[in-house]
Amino acid sequence: MRDRKITLLGPEGTNISIFLLFLIFNFISWFTLFVLSDGIDLNFNNILIRQIVFSLLSIGVFFLLTYISIENLQQSVDYLFAFITILLALLLTTSPKAGVRRWFDLGPIDFQPSEFAKVIIVLFIGNYLTKRKSRYPLFLLLGLILMLVLQQPDLGTSIIIGFVIAAMIFVSEIKVRYFILIILIVFSFFFIFLEVGVINQNQLNRINDFFSSDQDFQQSQSKLLISSGSLFGQYFEFSKLDKIFVPVETTDFIFAAFSYNFGFVGVLIILFLWFLFFLRLSQILDVTNSDFDKFVITGFITLLAFQIIVNISTITGLLPLTGLPFPLLSLGGSSMVSTSIIFGITNRIFIENNLVI
Amino acid sequence: MFLRNRYNYLALFFFSYFLFIIYTIYSLQILNINESIKKIDEQTLDVFYLSAPRGEIYDTNSEKLATSSLEPHLFLNLRKINDDNIEQYKQYLKYNFQELKNSDFEEIFNSKEILFLIRNIDGLDYLERQSLLELDAFEIFDYPIRKYNYENVASHIIGYIGRPTQEEFEEYPESLKNGIVGKSGIEKYYEQKLSGKAGVLTFKGSEIIDFIAPEAGEDLFLTIDIQTQTIATESLLEGIKLANENFDSENIIQKGSVVVIDIDSGEIVSMVSLPDFDPNKFVKGISSFDFNQLNRIDAFNNFAIQGLYPPGSVFKVVAYWLAENEGLFPEGIGSRNNSLKCEGSLSFSFIDGSQQVYNDWKEDGHGNVNLSSAIQESCNVYFWDIALKIWRTYEGGSSESILQEYARDLGFGKITGIDLPFEKSGVVPDRQLFEEWTITKPELVRPEGWLGGDLMNLIVGQGAITTTPIQVANAYKTLLTGFSSPPYLDKNMQQIQKVKNFDIDEEFVEFLLNDLNLVTNKNGTAYFAFEVLGKKANDIGGKTGTAQNPGNRNNTSWFAGIDSVSNPKYVVVTVVDEGGSGSAVAAPISRRVIQHLIGEELTPVKFGEITE
Repeated sequence: MRDRKITLLGPEGTNISIFLLFLIFNFISWFTLFVLSDGIDLNFNNILIRQIVFSLLSIGVFFLLTYISIENLQQSVDYLFAFITILLALLLTTSPKAGVRRWFDLGPIDFQPSEFAKVIIVLFIGNYLTKRKSRYPLFLLLGLILMLVLQQPDLGTSIIIGFVIAAMIFVSEIKVRYFILIILIVFSFFFIFLEVGVINQNQLNRINDFFSSDQDFQQSQSKLLISSGSLFGQYFEFSKLDKIFVPVETTDFIFAAFSYNFGFVGVLIILFLWFLFFLRLSQILDVTNSDFDKFVITGFITLLAFQIIVNISTITGLLPLTGLPFPLLSLGGSSMVSTSIIFGITNRIFIENNLVI
Repeated sequence: MFLRNRYNYLALFFFSYFLFIIYTIYSLQILNINESIKKIDEQTLDVFYLSAPRGEIYDTNSEKLATSSLEPHLFLNLRKINDDNIEQYKQYLKYNFQELKNSDFEEIFNSKEILFLIRNIDGLDYLERQSLLELDAFEIFDYPIRKYNYENVASHIIGYIGRPTQEEFEEYPESLKNGIVGKSGIEKYYEQKLSGKAGVLTFKGSEIIDFIAPEAGEDLFLTIDIQTQTIATESLLEGIKLANENFDSENIIQKGSVVVIDIDSGEIVSMVSLPDFDPNKFVKGISSFDFNQLNRIDAFNNFAIQGLYPPGSVFKVVAYWLAENEGLFPEGIGSRNNSLKCEGSLSFSFIDGSQQVYNDWKEDGHGNVNLSSAIQESCNVYFWDIALKIWRTYEGGSSESILQEYARDLGFGKITGIDLPFEKSGVVPDRQLFEEWTITKPELVRPEGWLGGDLMNLIVGQGAITTTPIQVANAYKTLLTGFSSPPYLDKNMQQIQKVKNFDIDEEFVEFLLNDLNLVTNKNGTAYFAFEVLGKKANDIGGKTGTAQNPGNRNNTSWFAGIDSVSNPKYVVVTVVDEGGSGSAVAAPISRRVIQHLIGEELTPVKFGEITE
């Protein structure tokens, strides 16, 4: 029923479970930042107010995406890809902020194009793999994007993009031996980049530190922070352990602060909600006939699940530090909006497949 | 083509990794929680502050008024208490210190502090202390104990100490570490000097890894002579007792003040305020019952600097100075020697035609009165006539407030700047103030505003005027020396005194001393109070005051005395709130203090003659 009438709310226009989960994740983020804020004043510098503004914007974006048909999206994906490539290239001409060039400075907020690049790449690969005869030299273009993100430098996002590319190609018809060959080529390129010094020294140090015995200070602190959350979290119990310093606890390390405040029970709840979301998403694979839908959904699941996994792995010391936001929890406009685009497109795919619950 | 079975491998990978992450967090939050808490304690340096001994306070003869002795105290290191040994320590404390109650144990073992002060163990001998230290969690540190050797005597000067409030530790950050701050008197005014620097114990986990010993505060040497202070306190108590016996007063007479000031230096030799309190009670924390009881009788008010009374006739010296200086005598009189006939009352009319009759305290009148005898016999009529002269000459003009300006020059209506907190300024009323009050305190003024009658009241120290005993003492000092300077209690202030020099010539001082001398001699209002001194009374001077109070409150009893008119050294001001006639109550109290100051044998305070 591709010509289904789209309304803004209700069973006709919105998939209930997707929208509810989207709202719940937003509320969890508000509550976490409310706990972390020193108090609320109506000021855009207040972390809670900031996140609420971003959230409201995200909900708007979610509904906006619901109006765009998957067909239109698929047709325009090449232009989007070209656009984001230009943006990423332009970013390298800006002056560095704290040693990196990840953001366009737009006054009160910073705009991070790589957050949107992740989503567009998923759509782009999905489109390419669906129309197998396309002449686009896929690997060259993806290689270009990866190079641009690595140049910022942003190793975390590069790895995510690399993993998403690999996962999406893996579920296509590619022969396993070619797949392994590609992986090997990518790895060898990675080490060539290392040699020519494209990869930032700071990132390398973190990787070196990780494999040497002395653990990163931030990671050992965040582990202590998570640990002192115990079963129910310090927010609900008397806190005597508030003397641990953890940097960027509202952004990349927010999950550590979340675990500290809401304990193991809180962790189980939020991870279970994400599991529900992924489970719900994967059910579309058995419903839809469109390969584009399937590839895109696979890409989105990989993107979000991998981001969550890497985020938690770094703050618990399982992986070296990279600096990735936790989707729909970390404070940050670009991350919130790009994640809401994923939810919006997913919602549209569900509606087009007649799934409203 | 999308390969569904390959997606399953991908999903399996994610699912297993999710489980792995959940296990990782489980092991952090549930399995290793205690280990982490230990790590946090170990990586965090905590500090515990040990109170510094406050500086000691001495009197002018280096007599110790307030001391801080360091005594050994037993502390419990709560970081070393765990589920295994808590019972052992409880039993040990219960057995050895039987005064500890169950509620104490709850407070000790539930405390969030690192170290908990259990008790003073000054009474234990060396071996007993050593046996305490064998238990790992016990620590012994010296802890200062404040002691006030003279208890109630000089309690308002020294003040008391207590736990700092939010405001206080914002002002004196060190007081939070010391756990103690001066709340009143010298203890408050010189908090910065006295407090010292708290010692710092640095803890890493449960171990003390660093100790910086506390630094004692600076000692203070006061101008007070504790012997004079003690005698003044006794005398005031005696006088108050006599007043209660002799007057059929509605309220119990219990408030009063004595101030002795050295006129050459401005040093306060003695400053008594009654009722008083024992500052030692605050050292261990005063019970709220005791506090409320003392607070109900205003024991924490230092009436010498906070008591606001109309000064009555002691204020007449202001007009005396003005009359001499400006040549402003009653109508028809040209100099201090010319006299008028006082018939016991003054009737006069104002320009608006209103007729007024003012009655002197002595109904038959004082007879022929000049400036000297007006002071000697405290004749109101003479001074009212001066007020009328001022009013008729200057009414509405810029010099209308000439009397008030003289009063302000002598320090009335503003704080003296003594080195004590919470001093009050009192009020010298004039037209401007009455206009303000018409808006802010309309119940205090008549709608007509400032009138000649108000000036007549003011000149004899009545009406809206209020003064503190220290202001009166300092004003007499200024008149006798020509120097106006804040009185002070800290000997070091001597070098930083701000002095204002007035043009007071020696001839005037001589006249004044002479006339004040008449007061304590035959026909003077204070003659009976000083009779006991015999010939010595010939060298004493003073001025009585009996100020009327509104309502059914008894008069305020005043006396401003001078130890010697030939060689004046001290001004002694005595006030007894609701003490009645100045000559009957305040004068004999001052007399006993003066006896001590001039080295005469002390005789008991005797109820004097009721005048005014």
